[in-house]
Amino acid sequence: MSTIEQEMVHAAEGGHHDHHELPFIRKYIFSTDHKMIAKQFMFVSLFFLVIGGLLAAMMRWQLGYPSQPMPGGMMLPDAMMAPTPNGAIMLPEFYNSLVTMHGTIMIFFAIMPLLVGLFGNLLIPLQIGAEDMAFPRLNMISFWLAVPAGILMLASFAVEGGAAGAGWTSYAPLSASGEWTGVYLGQQLWLASLTILGFSSLVGAVNYITTVINMRAPGMTWFRMPLATWALFITAILILLAIPVLAGALIMLLFDQTIGTGFFRPEVGGEPLLWQHLFWFFGHPEVYILILPAMGIASEVLSNRARKPIFGYHSMVLAIIGIGFLGWIVWGHHMFMSGMNPLLGTSFMISTMAIAVPSAIKTFNWMATVWKGDIHLDSPMLYALAFVSMFIIGGLSGIFMASTPVDIYIHDTYFIVAHIHYVLFGGSLFAIFAGITFWYPKMFGRMMNESLNKLHFGLTIVLYNLVFWPMHNLGLQGMMRRIYDFTQYEYLAPLQPMNEFISISVFLLVATQSIYAFNFFWSLFKGEKASDNPWDSNTLEWTVPSPPPHGNFPEMPVVYRGPYEYSSPESETDFYPQTTPPSKPPVQDLIPEPVTPTPEGF
Amino acid sequence: MSTGEAHKPAPYMLVWLALFLLTMAEVGYAFITAIPKLWLAIGLIVMAFYKAWLVAVYYMHLKWEPKRLWLMVSIPIPLIMILIFVVLNEIF
Amino acid sequence: MTTQAMTAGRAPMPGMKVYNLKLGMWIFLLSEVMFFTGLIGSYVILRFAHPEQFTEPGVVLNVPLTAFNTFLLICSSVTMVKAYAAIQQGDQQGLKNWLLATILIGASFVGVQVYEYIALVGEGFVPMAEAYHAVGRHMPHDGPVVGGQLYGSTFYTMTGFHGTHVSIGVLCLCFTYWRAAKGEYSADNLGGVEIMGLYWHFVDLVWIILFTIVYLI
Repeated sequence: MSTIEQEMVHAAEGGHHDHHELPFIRKYIFSTDHKMIAKQFMFVSLFFLVIGGLLAAMMRWQLGYPSQPMPGGMMLPDAMMAPTPNGAIMLPEFYNSLVTMHGTIMIFFAIMPLLVGLFGNLLIPLQIGAEDMAFPRLNMISFWLAVPAGILMLASFAVEGGAAGAGWTSYAPLSASGEWTGVYLGQQLWLASLTILGFSSLVGAVNYITTVINMRAPGMTWFRMPLATWALFITAILILLAIPVLAGALIMLLFDQTIGTGFFRPEVGGEPLLWQHLFWFFGHPEVYILILPAMGIASEVLSNRARKPIFGYHSMVLAIIGIGFLGWIVWGHHMFMSGMNPLLGTSFMISTMAIAVPSAIKTFNWMATVWKGDIHLDSPMLYALAFVSMFIIGGLSGIFMASTPVDIYIHDTYFIVAHIHYVLFGGSLFAIFAGITFWYPKMFGRMMNESLNKLHFGLTIVLYNLVFWPMHNLGLQGMMRRIYDFTQYEYLAPLQPMNEFISISVFLLVATQSIYAFNFFWSLFKGEKASDNPWDSNTLEWTVPSPPPHGNFPEMPVVYRGPYEYSSPESETDFYPQTTPPSKPPVQDLIPEPVTPTPEGF
Repeated sequence: MSTGEAHKPAPYMLVWLALFLLTMAEVGYAFITAIPKLWLAIGLIVMAFYKAWLVAVYYMHLKWEPKRLWLMVSIPIPLIMILIFVVLNEIF
Repeated sequence: MTTQAMTAGRAPMPGMKVYNLKLGMWIFLLSEVMFFTGLIGSYVILRFAHPEQFTEPGVVLNVPLTAFNTFLLICSSVTMVKAYAAIQQGDQQGLKNWLLATILIGASFVGVQVYEYIALVGEGFVPMAEAYHAVGRHMPHDGPVVGGQLYGSTFYTMTGFHGTHVSIGVLCLCFTYWRAAKGEYSADNLGGVEIMGLYWHFVDLVWIILFTIVYLI
């Protein structure tokens, strides 16, 4: 049977397979079902999220209580913590590794796989009406490449010299030779791990792009796709084109360290600035990879929970595409202080300010979406509203950085740290909480406990702001990033109490996450059983059982309208699913009588 | 057929001849010392990209694929130009 | 099969009308373009920044041998496309023969490149920056060093990764040949051959550009 015929028959059958029950290992371990792979990514990523949080907590111990014995520190090896009679004190080298690994693990092993690995895999086939991804086996390979990458990354803590310590941005020449950081094998493992992970993301991206282009159900035109799918599609394109440049750079750096090539080593004629350009050429699209799917999730939740269509659907799509496109020409704003050509600085400043526009369009559209809506203030909505507000703050601080003269002052200070965390935690992570809560019933057939989620939300939003808002001030007062002991500088010593306050808030914030974790696992077994469509949503994934069967749709769905027909006059209820055939003409009563003016006016 | 629309037989051997001749021309051209370096480089790049274009259009069958595929395939080109152009500005 | 027939099994839907395997391979090749851009772009930039570390064409590198190698790879593209044309007509034996020819020529390309590497290393042209001591072809070993450390670093990285891609291609060709030998391809089912061809032609395409930029400029 030809390739085309096979695909046709497969699709026409609607994914109905005569599957004998798969053995445990094929069903749960080496699964090719996109929903199972999504869950695999989710569990592994949540584990790394916890690790990343613990690394941050340790960093905050050092910043809040500089060079004081850390509780539990005696359990860690001498290479990390110097033992004293009173307890173990963190070593500066270990602090550098913590900084590096916190960033690396959070970005590459938590947020990215949660947004792309979990939501990309879960939502794309379901929302476009496909039975699975275009290449299910490649999908499985994508997950099983990410796992050894994660193992290598964690293993790097245990080798001599410790884990990578050159920052998540791994600038040369610091990272090119172990002479400066004291880290040898750890840095190489870091490079190898990210190269493997890059390959995992890459094959995933090929899958997502092919699936969205080729496997949409009849009637699912481009402009009837949900915004979550649009965002994931553009994100996949960014991954496809940016990751290979990173891979090239990582490999060149690895060669510098191991073989002794001279790409980035100035002592043999190499160019450290080349590393920065290559890294950030990837790095800036990377940060849009970290926010676009979150924006897509927010659009789904806000529209559904306000029972109103997304305001300006077309402009939302164009904004996503605009962000994806402009994201390629702004990377230099990470390098304003690098000594690069100042003329380039100007051009990057202009393009960076321009990219604020599509983000602002989306923000205004979200606000217009919930305006005067029938708002259900349950936990997904709370998380999504937090996403919008925290993202606004993060975006506004970004405008300061976009301006080169201002950045001269705030670069590499805690102002930047505040910005990063407002967009990544306030933005991406809150959207992840919203998304997991919203699609939990679809994944597991049960609802999460709503009260626990509200408690988690309330504590998290307060504590999180207590942690990160003051960092704006700290940065403006001159506290620099990635510093083991800032109190060595007299002018920064007065910032110690604020740092202690932040650290205590961090410990409470980390502890608070256990509420969500508990809720997550408890609800797996004791959560209220979910119907097919507990949120009364319009998109295709809610037309199938929770959780969906293998093959998703018993017969090929046909799509008649866009995904945001909430409170539509054409429907008896306040939602109008995409696959419901149009049954009656528009309701006549809602068409107003023409009003004729009287001599005195209306 | 599964490859897209049917087309008249492709001129594979003609393209091969063109590629062979162009390669010879390139090697010859590269060693003409009288030409200033800049024109040498430009001429060689033009020849190389033309050969690459021949391979893409005829051997990779782009000529007979839907125009949307052409569009998709050309997306990296502006990105490449941006990266190289911007970083080159660092040198000058 | 026509486009109409392709979509007959389901209600007409907008899409690329390029089947999944082929679309997926093209998309993957786009990422490969970006990968080689990173490597070749870095070479271009380093060369502009430190021209003294590189030489005129032919001083260190063996241009005639590599020109021949380039020709070999182009021939293998022709044999690949002949293999594809054969199975389009349902010619199983033709498919196998041309695939075999492609494998042999492709393997020869790698072989020539390995030979070239050995010769270059013998002349002192190595990737390790501190150990670089290339004197140029046919020059005595105690002659003055030509070029600099960056030359070796960039040369081996670019050509090495290209060679790796060719080697992987040869292995995939062997796999394709094995499937062809089992009779798994036909005029209606040649997606596997087509995407193998796309990858192989792409590897040739990269080399065409790489050869010019690295050996001739």
